[in-house]
Amino acid sequence: MIEEPYRWVEAIANRREYIEAQLVSGSPIAALGYRDGILFLTLGQARQKIFEIYDRIAMGAIGHPGDIERLRMAAIELASTEGFTRSTADVSLRRLVHYSLSPVMKSAFEQVYGAPYLARMLFAEVGERPEEDLFLRVEYDGEIATSGTSFALTRQDFAALSGTRQSRELMESFLKAEYAPDTSFEAALKSALDAWSVGHMALQTGDAKELPERTAVTRHRGEQLANSGIEAGILERDPSRGIRYRALLDVELRALIHD
Amino acid sequence: MEPPLVRPDQTFSGSADDFPTLLRRKGLLGPAAIVDPVGPGGRLQQRSWEPTEATTILAFKFSGGVLVAGDRRATSGNTVVYDRADKVLEIDRHSIMAIAGVPATAWEMARVLEHSFQYFRRTQLQEMSVDGKVRALSKLLRDNFGFVMQGVGMVVPIFATYDSHPKPEARLYFYDAMGAQFEVTDYAATGSGSPAVRGILYYENNWGAKPLQKLSEDAAVSIALRALDTAAESDTSTGGVDRSGKIYPLIKIVSREGITTLPETKIAAVFKKTVA
Repeated sequence: MIEEPYRWVEAIANRREYIEAQLVSGSPIAALGYRDGILFLTLGQARQKIFEIYDRIAMGAIGHPGDIERLRMAAIELASTEGFTRSTADVSLRRLVHYSLSPVMKSAFEQVYGAPYLARMLFAEVGERPEEDLFLRVEYDGEIATSGTSFALTRQDFAALSGTRQSRELMESFLKAEYAPDTSFEAALKSALDAWSVGHMALQTGDAKELPERTAVTRHRGEQLANSGIEAGILERDPSRGIRYRALLDVELRALIHD
Repeated sequence: MEPPLVRPDQTFSGSADDFPTLLRRKGLLGPAAIVDPVGPGGRLQQRSWEPTEATTILAFKFSGGVLVAGDRRATSGNTVVYDRADKVLEIDRHSIMAIAGVPATAWEMARVLEHSFQYFRRTQLQEMSVDGKVRALSKLLRDNFGFVMQGVGMVVPIFATYDSHPKPEARLYFYDAMGAQFEVTDYAATGSGSPAVRGILYYENNWGAKPLQKLSEDAAVSIALRALDTAAESDTSTGGVDRSGKIYPLIKIVSREGITTLPETKIAAVFKKTVA
């Protein structure tokens, strides 16, 4: 199969289709930069999906739990050994993703006799100022997408991850239209819940092309909040503390949701 | 082809790695020193090592948690190398390691320990238990013992932490150079000036105005300063309080809320009022 280029391309295409089908059910994750940090949020009942990686880095992931776990361990190992041998300030999300994770995921994906990683991840690194926040999305084939800090793009202090491309793009356009960066935590929490609802509705309907009505989003959010737990974590901007990650409890967040 | 960075783990051994093992696997930490008492020619080497832990560290429980204090002097033989050394080191939000011994080894140990606790929390998704933390330090000391036998790198630490489970309480341990840990109920001291300090703490605990555990923060700081000053009176390796240079000991407090480092102004005020 490998000897024939056409068969290889076909095998890769099949594999892509297979992985996409596996990831379709993944509950969306929204990551939003606000004045005092970065908020990661998702709704769900089963597995943990938001993780601390290093002092200023966190990760959200959807996919197969075994693959997520391997990639998470690798990221923690790389960051921890780098931080130990040099300094915690020398651990960089950009290098971690570009030089370590992405090439490995790409080669696993393209070696058609081996198993690919059934996972898609969203990383964020909190900066000293909101303009320095970095978001990187890594796909199962090693492709990397960044929000801002690239010359050609307008900076966005948010990122989204979802089971389908269409759902993610709707979340992004929702946030682009509705979310003002440099805001309070409460505002970020509200936008994150709404963005999650937009992404989740798109996964349910399957072929949504346009943003749903405001009222429909609010209604969907209310229904889902009644049945699912909120999973969230923040990376705090406060430089006086070394370790910035903190998991947030469902109850403390519910007290802040008003409408 | 380069071996893949993320190895598919078929052995189920990956998650069992602790942080020092991970560092050794990557060649970032030297192997544990081998304790080999048999020298060249097969003769048993009977060497005695000079205690090199030239310093004074003390820790005791008081009403607000555990107070850990250390002098600032670093010596090499008869020479004072540095008079602002920090020997009371924060390991995480609730743990302090205070060291007597060779600074290079001790600081490296503190660094490994700090990263070990973080690494455990991040990979295992839960905080390491106090017993696990105490044992991790013990293991580092044990790994280092071969060097101690060769006459270098002796470290004798004190470990203070706040335990939230099952019962919230401050906990205090001292170690020997081989890695045995001893939990204490009231106080611990280590370093060359420790005999004098232990005498004072024993006396205060039994016949002082109040037992150590009942002391207020100011009274506790006062006793710590007096004890270090007493140790410095006869031990050349202990800095005590440098009155002319205005160098005060380093004092940290572990409580339920975390670790506070007492500001120098506060220590100076207590010193002026009750010691000088």
